Amino acid sequence: MIAKSDTMRRPFGCPPIPCGPRRGGEPSVILGIDVGGTHTDAVCIEDGRIRSYAKTLTGDDLVASVVDAIERLDAACPKVKRVVLSTTLSTNVIVEGKHPPTGVVCSAGPGIDPGTFSVGTCFRHVAGAMDHRGREYIPIDPAEVMDAASTLERAGCQGVAIVSKFSVRNPAHEDAIASLVGSRFRHVCLGHTLSGALNFPRRINTTYLNAAVMPVQERFISAVASAVERLGIQAPLYFLKADGGTYTQDAARRFPVETILSGPAASVMGALALAPSRDASVLVIDIGGTTTDIGVLVGGLPLLDTWGVAIGGLKTLVRGLKVISIGVGGDSCISVEDDGTIAVGPRRDGMPACMGGPSATPMDALVILGEYAGDTARALDAVRALALKAGMDIEPFCRKVIGVMVDAVHGAAKAFMEEINAHPVYTIYEMLHPHVVKPEGVVLVGGPAALLAEYVSRSFGLPCHVPEHAGVANALGAALSRTTAQITLHADTELGVLFCPELGFKAAAPRSMTLEDLRHEGLRLLRENASYLGLEDSAEAQVIQQQAFTMVRGFSTVGANMRVRVQNTPGIIDSWGGLG
Amino acid sequence: MKAKRRTGLIFFPAYDWEISPTHPERKERLLYTQDQVLEEGVLDIEGVYEFKAGVASEQDISRVHFCVPDVPSRITASHNISAGGCIEAARLVLDGVVDNAFALVRPPGHHAMRVVQGARGFCNINIEAVMLEWVRTHYPGVKKIAVVDTDCHHGDGTQDIYWHDPDVLYISIHQDGRTLYPGSGFPSEFGGPKAAGYTINIPLPPLTGDEGILWAVEHVVLPVLEDFGPDLVINSAGQDNHFTDPITNMSFSALGYARLNELLKPHVCVLEGGYSIEGALPYVNTGIILALAGLDYSYVREPDYDPERVRQDPRVTEYIQRLCEQIYDMWRNRSALAPEPRPFYERSRSIFYDTDSITERQHETLAYCTACNGALRIDSRASTGYRILAVHLPRGACSACRSQAREWFDHPGGPYYAVYLQDLDADEFTVKIM
Ligand SMILES: [Zn+2]
Ligand SMILES: [Zn+2]
Repeated sequence: MIAKSDTMRRPFGCPPIPCGPRRGGEPSVILGIDVGGTHTDAVCIEDGRIRSYAKTLTGDDLVASVVDAIERLDAACPKVKRVVLSTTLSTNVIVEGKHPPTGVVCSAGPGIDPGTFSVGTCFRHVAGAMDHRGREYIPIDPAEVMDAASTLERAGCQGVAIVSKFSVRNPAHEDAIASLVGSRFRHVCLGHTLSGALNFPRRINTTYLNAAVMPVQERFISAVASAVERLGIQAPLYFLKADGGTYTQDAARRFPVETILSGPAASVMGALALAPSRDASVLVIDIGGTTTDIGVLVGGLPLLDTWGVAIGGLKTLVRGLKVISIGVGGDSCISVEDDGTIAVGPRRDGMPACMGGPSATPMDALVILGEYAGDTARALDAVRALALKAGMDIEPFCRKVIGVMVDAVHGAAKAFMEEINAHPVYTIYEMLHPHVVKPEGVVLVGGPAALLAEYVSRSFGLPCHVPEHAGVANALGAALSRTTAQITLHADTELGVLFCPELGFKAAAPRSMTLEDLRHEGLRLLRENASYLGLEDSAEAQVIQQQAFTMVRGFSTVGANMRVRVQNTPGIIDSWGGLG
Repeated sequence: MKAKRRTGLIFFPAYDWEISPTHPERKERLLYTQDQVLEEGVLDIEGVYEFKAGVASEQDISRVHFCVPDVPSRITASHNISAGGCIEAARLVLDGVVDNAFALVRPPGHHAMRVVQGARGFCNINIEAVMLEWVRTHYPGVKKIAVVDTDCHHGDGTQDIYWHDPDVLYISIHQDGRTLYPGSGFPSEFGGPKAAGYTINIPLPPLTGDEGILWAVEHVVLPVLEDFGPDLVINSAGQDNHFTDPITNMSFSALGYARLNELLKPHVCVLEGGYSIEGALPYVNTGIILALAGLDYSYVREPDYDPERVRQDPRVTEYIQRLCEQIYDMWRNRSALAPEPRPFYERSRSIFYDTDSITERQHETLAYCTACNGALRIDSRASTGYRILAVHLPRGACSACRSQAREWFDHPGGPYYAVYLQDLDADEFTVKIM
């Protein structure tokens, strides 16, 4: 069996492997723990070097698994400066529906029938409408809102998501609903606080999921925080988000939804830490047992999904990495069609034959080719019949199987890059000067990575790097990722309003305001609210998007409509020394 | 939510292009449409896909136009992309990637005629025609095309380009030319001698509402399309019939536009005019996309929509009903519209390029032919000083007409700056600077 990112194949519970030199002076210690579905990986980094790592099986009690993993690291607990966790907790809670009943009160106004956006235990649509500039044209009806809240209470909802259309332009309706009925629920989430992006249905889903996972996440964070403290660690606790950034535990309590699907983020950020160059444009390919995940780093930054990640069939505004997953892995079944065509995956029957499983897999082919130590007799038993069906000798057949598998990954990666480069653009400049993402190499992680490197390099025609310690890539990715946050500013100088939804910040936008003013305001707001947003520091604050439009009505200029997006850029913290 | 028809969107707002900062055709034009479409989550609907625009080449443009003195001096990159966006929309449909597509692009094109001495009505090149000639070149199976132009202004450019072509049916519904730019588009303009009846103009009185426009669609457009049997239906989806449009006087609503597209079922919609960028476009475009995708649009409504305000005067209704009856009769008796055959048909006219303040005198000669649509010769002289001779050879031109065109091209006579030959069968465009 191959667990993703498990190149070492050490037995569980073995002592940590010390690696990396210890330097003199007061060490700065960072712990990264990736609590996966099957394994919990942990890594201890001291003075920018890996000092130790550990792998355990994830138990039912996630807090105990975290403690167990940390204990195995044998870290100098009092010297720990930063503890970062990547967990599947919120993902599992959502996918398995193990959250308390959660309701939605939304005001939509005209548009697509809001009934189609229904989600959760109890979904109530109330009157009220804002236009695209945030001007109210249908007011809220307080009596109706009170009645909706009563319906939610009767349905047993402890949490409520309050969402209105265009609330990122004007939150007045969300705020009004919250002040009317917020006190009647234990958890109240307002749509505009979670993302400044436009997309009402996704805002509903995101807010709903945030309210739904809040209680579970709160309990978990409290328990982990005190357990870590009991270990003698005084350091702040951070959590990995889906976008490859981390945030403080306070922010993680407020915005738990951002931790969903952080798995691929851990793996891609780990690959970035282990990549030969820190500003590389590379494909990151994580070959697991059942699936292979493909992500991409562009100039050292992970490429994010345009709109947000989807989970449990719900599309959200949670920024996440752009990754694709294909049903091809080391444990996938090999099949041969009647015409001799060889295929790998997407079916998986469990372990490879060489480990006692029922079916022939690429791992068995690697065993036969002598690339990997395993039960050759069992592997041969399983593969022989298929080679015969394909009319091939056993070794060429095995090489062909690996070729088919790697080509499938290559084909998917190619389509993935084509899709990325076909992204619509809205200016002539971008249309005529397309920014083409062209990977210069492949970073290969995952179980059979080292065994497949040569095949991958040949199929892709690109250099293929298999980093040392790829087995702890995920824990490393968590440990080393910078804290990140993003805010959106919208200024409408005709209406005289500046609004930053994520911060609920409203100010006057005078007619004299320029785009430069708005950029400064964005950077200032990010820095001043760094702690609320979950940032450790805001050193990497930058403007990532800006637009300004002159507003003309009746042939004369009446104002400007300006948009700015500011973020703390994701990346690897500076103190990381790499493996070199 | 799942679309009943797969719908492709080509969105190209050209956020870095404008005629001038305060011109209706400015950077801000599609901003609020994008906001609305994004906020409604339209792009997340299963079966609605967004695609990147393309870039039309000089060759694509020269299949339609005689740009004077040449293509680069008459257009900007935005025009290449706007036309390229339309081509991409058509390609998606013809390749079966989607069932229909909407090119939400700018700048528009339906006032651009075959000869381009300047810009008219904010249009430099005719983006629908560039798309259609690209389609006919690359997909020869597409024989008959219908262009239904629902922009509030008469699409005099599209009418001009297909005036002699019976394979392209051009129907325009617009505000009466006696009350609005460009002042043309009357039922008496029904096409050239070889295509008599294949241009249909439906001029509607000011303050026509949903009821009147939909009446024209149901009582003229749909029955005519039924008779004509097009392989491809295009909607030049101008949105300036809207009750909030600042430069027109009609009373059409977002619901009306959506219903129109639900009835018409076009393969490709192309945005044309529409300058109520806040009050109309966001809602009209949302409605059109939902209608194309076969989804419920009945909740789409403008903030200031008031059924009373857009209700049509009964006298207007009666006028439109009578007009539509006459126009449909003309279509049914279109064989009677064709003039007596003679070797050459000539017409002279004066064309004003309002956007650029250029005046052009044109003298057009059609070599009438029973075997093909006939070679066309246009002598054009503009106030800029450019006098050119344009020779057009239609698809399927017979050998006699090919010789005629050659003769015109080789011996132009007159003090021309340049002579051009547009040969659609050979897909060649030849320029001779004199
Ligand atoms: Zn118009
Ligand atoms: Zn002929």
